[in-house]
Amino acid sequence: MAGSAKVGAVIAFACRIVVAAVFVYAGGVKVLDPAGFALAIDNYRLLPYPLAAMLAVYLPWAEIVCGASVLWPRVRCGGLAVLSGLCLIFAGAIVSAALRGLDIGCGCFGPEEISGVSPAIALLRDVVLLLLCAWLLRWEMRGPASPRLN
Amino acid sequence: MSQQPSMLGRALKQAGVLLLAALIPVLLTAAFHPRRPAWSRDQAMVTEVTLDTLGQWRGAVLLVDARGAAAYERQHIPGALSLSGGKWDDLLEALAKEWRPGMRVVVYCDNRNCGASQSVARRLRRELAVADIYVLKGGWDAWLEAQKSGP
Repeated sequence: MAGSAKVGAVIAFACRIVVAAVFVYAGGVKVLDPAGFALAIDNYRLLPYPLAAMLAVYLPWAEIVCGASVLWPRVRCGGLAVLSGLCLIFAGAIVSAALRGLDIGCGCFGPEEISGVSPAIALLRDVVLLLLCAWLLRWEMRGPASPRLN
Repeated sequence: MSQQPSMLGRALKQAGVLLLAALIPVLLTAAFHPRRPAWSRDQAMVTEVTLDTLGQWRGAVLLVDARGAAAYERQHIPGALSLSGGKWDDLLEALAKEWRPGMRVVVYCDNRNCGASQSVARRLRRELAVADIYVLKGGWDAWLEAQKSGP
């Protein structure tokens, strides 16, 4: 029992590193070119342009801050909750663009990610991240009894 | 039993703190980032031109196909050069050899629903310092339609 919990703690530790690295990288690439990212968001045609521009400035930093927070036990649950929510929103946006026949790059890893990744791959990547974040959040909420590798 | 709700409440509080903390770099980015977005669509977007306008232009025009290599290989507007995300550096070099200062550049992708022409045009303006750059309204579909309806 204790052995399997220890294995779970090691897996959770590895998953936290992956989640933090992916979101800090994704946010970092977008922070380099917020104007390009604004166009990538605008391509989805879900928001009026000024809102897309505001989101293009805010979202990358939210990804970086929440991604990094996954490595900090004091705010880990909050970070994972935000990242899970973001993954859900991204999945909705990707599906909605595909249903409307929009031929756009997903913009997930920066505005210059043009025509490189199909919507199916982008969605799959997003769902894997969502599952990782949700599982980590559930793991963290199991309470103080579970063994932890911080 | 009461642990779950309190954990949830704590997680939401932490989420709020993190989202507020992100506002500090956000404000700095909005104020000072050299590539901060324009706040109006007209300023942000590369100007669109119709095929009719394109036909009326005098002087050399360089057409750029932003649809991706496979679509370009199948068919493209005569004289257009391919430039898409895949092999950007190689393709940009080929394009830079063709482009002369003062030449207009028009980028197209599939149709009204594609975003690649805006992204490529924007990147081209930045990396090749092309000032006279446009996006073809309706893209490849508009050109095909014009071919069907004749001159």
